[in-house]
This record gives sequence, C-alpha cells and structure tokens, in this order.
Amino acid sequence: MSEKHNAQEESSEPISRRKVLAWLTSMGIMGSAVVSVFSNLVFIKPRATYGQPTRFSIGTPDDYPPGTRIALGDQKVAIIREGSKMAAISITCTHLGCIVGVSETGFACPCHGSRFDQDGNVTGGPAPKPLPWYELSMAPNGELEVDKGKEVTAGKWFTV
Amino acid sequence: MSEKKNNIFSTLSSMPAAIWSSVFRNNLPYTDLGRSKTSFNNFFLHIHPVKVHRHTLKPWFTMGLGLISLFLFLILVVTGVLLMFYYVPSTAQAYDRMLDLRGSVAFGVFLRNMHRWSAHGMVAAVFLHMCRVFFTGSYKKPREFNWVIGVILFLLTLFLSFTGYLLPWDQLAFWAITVGTAIAGYAPVVGEQMRFLLLGDTTVGQEALLRFYVLHVAVLPVVMVVLIAIHFWRIRKDGGLSRPEEADIVEPAAVGTVLATPAPAMAMATAAGGINVIEKKNYGIQGLVRGPFAKVGNVPDNSVFSYPNLLLAELFVFILTVLGVLLVSAFFNAPLEEAVNVLHPPNPAKAPWYFLGLQEMVSYSAFWGGVGIPAIEVLVLLLVPYFDRGQKGVGKWFAKERLLANTLFLTFVVVNIVLIIIGTFFRGQNWEFVSPF
Repeated sequence: MSEKHNAQEESSEPISRRKVLAWLTSMGIMGSAVVSVFSNLVFIKPRATYGQPTRFSIGTPDDYPPGTRIALGDQKVAIIREGSKMAAISITCTHLGCIVGVSETGFACPCHGSRFDQDGNVTGGPAPKPLPWYELSMAPNGELEVDKGKEVTAGKWFTV
Repeated sequence: MSEKKNNIFSTLSSMPAAIWSSVFRNNLPYTDLGRSKTSFNNFFLHIHPVKVHRHTLKPWFTMGLGLISLFLFLILVVTGVLLMFYYVPSTAQAYDRMLDLRGSVAFGVFLRNMHRWSAHGMVAAVFLHMCRVFFTGSYKKPREFNWVIGVILFLLTLFLSFTGYLLPWDQLAFWAITVGTAIAGYAPVVGEQMRFLLLGDTTVGQEALLRFYVLHVAVLPVVMVVLIAIHFWRIRKDGGLSRPEEADIVEPAAVGTVLATPAPAMAMATAAGGINVIEKKNYGIQGLVRGPFAKVGNVPDNSVFSYPNLLLAELFVFILTVLGVLLVSAFFNAPLEEAVNVLHPPNPAKAPWYFLGLQEMVSYSAFWGGVGIPAIEVLVLLLVPYFDRGQKGVGKWFAKERLLANTLFLTFVVVNIVLIIIGTFFRGQNWEFVSPF
C-alpha cells in the first residue's frame, strides 16, 4: 500500500472496508473461541449424577434402640436415639468432607482434627460450621425416612 | 565403488554404509566443522546449541536439576504408558488391577514403583530446580517469562501427581482426593462449580476416577510436553543459561582480547583500559548469543562444542537419574493401602507429602490454608521477575547483591519445608501433635 493511499485512508476515510472486514473477522474468530470454550465447559458438566438419592428409608424405629449412635455409611448420616427422641445428623465433616467418627461423646474428624459435641456443634478444630441435622419423618409403612435435601435446626428431635 | 558400476554385489556390500550415512548424514565428527554439522543434522541433537558456554557446564552451577526433572518426566511417560496396558479406570476394577500388578504381571510391581518414585522425585526435582534458578538470579531479564512458564510447569507437575494419586483407588487415594477437592471447593464464587466439574459428581466416585484418569494420561501430559518444549526453546532464545558477566571474559593474559562481552562489562573493561575490545563481530547461527553480541569463527572464547561436552554431561545426569530410580524402586515398594472404604477415613488421613504443608495450614483455616495463602504464593511466584528487576548478581549462587531477595525466598522455602515436615512426622491420630521420636 502506498504512502499516499495510507494518508488518504486516514484523513477522508477513517474506517476503511479493509478495517471493518479485519475487525469482523477477528471478532468472529475470538467469538468462536469463546463459544467453543463455553460449550466445552457445558459438555464436561454432567447433567445427571450417579450418587445417592437425597431421600431414603432407614428402617423402623425398633432397629434403633434407645442410646443408639450409629453411622450409616452409604447415606453418610448418623442416626441418634435418646429415649423416644431421634435425629439424623450428617457425618460429612463441614471442613473438608471427610467422614467423621461417631462416638458416645460426639464426633471427631480424623483428617484435620475437627471435633463436634453429641449434637454436632463444633468444639474444636478448623470446622467452620456445625454438622447439619436432616429432616426425619415416619412413612405410612412405619419406616423412618431421612431427607438430606431438607436441613432442620439443630436440636429439633423427631419423637417416635 | 565408482569402478564397479551396477554391480549387485557392490551395491549390497555398500548398502549398510549407504543407509547409515543417509540416516546420520555425516560420520562421527573429528573436526570442529564436523561437530557443528552433527548438531545441525541430527533431529535429537539440534535442540542443542552447537557451542555451549563453559559456565553452563559447571556441575555445581545447575546441579543438573532441570535435566533430572526432564528425565524423570520421560521415565514417567514410559512407565505410565506401560501401566496403562493393565489399568482400568473403574471403581470396581481399579484396585484389583493394582493387586494384579503385584500378582500376575511381570515387572508389575517394579514398574509401579518406578512410576511412583519418579513422580515423587519429579516434584522434588522441579522444586529444587526452581530454587536453583532463584538463588542464582537466573529469572532476570531476558528470562522473566521462562520463569513464569517454569512456575506453571511446577503447578502442572503437582496437578499431574495429584490426579495420578487417585488411580489406585485405595484408601490413601480416596481420602487424599476427597480432602484435596474439598479444598478447591473453598475457592470463592467458582469453588463449588470447579469441584463439581473436577469430580463429575458431588462426591468422589466413578465419575471422578474417570475424569482424573483422562486428565492424568491425556490432557495434562500433552499440556506438559508443549510447555516443556517452549521452556527449552526459550532457553536458547534467551541466550543459554544465565552466567555472571565475568564468565564471558577470556583471561587477558592468555589471549589479549575480550570477545563478545555484554555491553556494560565491555564498557567497564574499556574504561579500565589495557584490554583490547573487538566490537564488530558478525552474527552467526552457531554463535552463542547474549544480548546484542554474537560470536563466530575460530577465535578464542569461553565456549566449547556441545558435541561431545554438553552431551556427555547430559548422559551423565541421565544415567544418574535412571540409576537412582532403579535403585529406589528395587528396594522400596510403592504404598498400596486397603481398598476404598467410604465410611472410614484412615486416621490420620494424609494428602501426598508435597501437599502436607497445605494440609497443615488447612488445619488452622480451610480458606486461608487451602486457598488464600497458596493463591498468594503462586501469584507472587509468577510475578517474581517483574517485582525484582535489578540486573545485579545474575548467574551466581547467593550473590551479595541479591541478599534481600534470596533471604525472602529462602524463608518461603524453609517455611514450606517445615510445614511439610510437621504435617508428615508430627501429626498423628485426629491430626493431633505427636512426637516422632
């Protein structure tokens, strides 16, 4: 391109056809790149997962005699029974997702030493939140149901 | 040959030599020209410069740490591909396949040992290489961006190791990844999304195993190879390894001339007087470039031919690396714990050793230990060459001019190592402080 042509371009023709085409082309390429990155992200985000259902049956209250503190591994909840009061408390540590150990005195996480009292309140270690309680209910067939989709306030026992 | 034209016997008898010379193009070199041509004409050698500075070959300057990292990576690729022949990324089969390596695959245990110990070794070697580059001030202009690539390579090494950690699908693997990905979940805004994308589920399971496998054997190695290539290419483009300015000065008593010294040194030398400086030297492909000055021709300087000097040094490091890996693999077996039991984390559940410093920090605060402080550390590491822009003390270990920078970096190194030692040896059941003695 000659000097003269350049000068002309700058003065009388501030936006040349060439510039517009170059701009559109680069925008098109960059746009396609963004779209393809985005669609790749959409692709690798699974639409269905294969994990546990949030709502499940845990058997009849008779399976849990008073004084029970038992962990259900697959469902990752602890079923607690004191007299006629029952509760389902998460055993997934609120810190980094380890499974806490259930004992008479509370819960303890082996990974980073978080400790919780019998009701799941933090008594030590780095856990930022208490262990959540899940809703317990009685199904018509006499079996207890836990709904991990519904948290209840700590201390809200279910009476059987 | 010219005397016996079209003789089938002479064609056959000269065939090996003809094939040899068509493959290698020239004979083993006995002249400087031959040494240059050997480096030029060989695909595997032409990554090297024809000539290399004497200072580059000093064993205690680099300690061969970059080469060790490369060779460990090559060992990992070879052993990794071999292990792939017997591995299935399925929660039902993965652990059994680990046991099969022990029981029914020839050299199975040995290959797994080599892969595991090389992986640990590579993390250590890459980190030590980074320390070498820092303490010798080698990240300074014009090598700033190669330092940045190096930091990314270090992070990739960690991520490769981390993704490989899950594959045996034993207790060690499962809980280390559970903890590691939960840390990612603490990142603000995108944390939970990132964790979900990485695991393909809300918990570590089949989807996570498959994803980690694909990342470990396909995605990350390819990225790694590309970045390694750029890393090496830039070494050449940045004028070889860093070296102190005085390393370019040929003893005046012996030669009487100074060749291709960088501008400041040259100015100083001229000001000092008595040293004859040849300024006008041509650029040449063979020349070892530093700054605007290149040198070429049969003049005395401080470089030697890469063939055989550099190649022998590399061979030495290669043999040492392979020997080390073989010895360690012969005497120590890679750990394999029980099969995954999602209800019982081992007590204490520990991440791979190089993440135990992180885990130690995480036990004080999940966000700051797991995300905040590491993010700041990585950011500062990446930006180091743009903060520290002085040009003094390059190419010397612990140069006096770099006392502050070196002290800060040494502190960073020592703090991280101390945290790792605490996490490894001083943490027992429930992550409580125990004495290893």
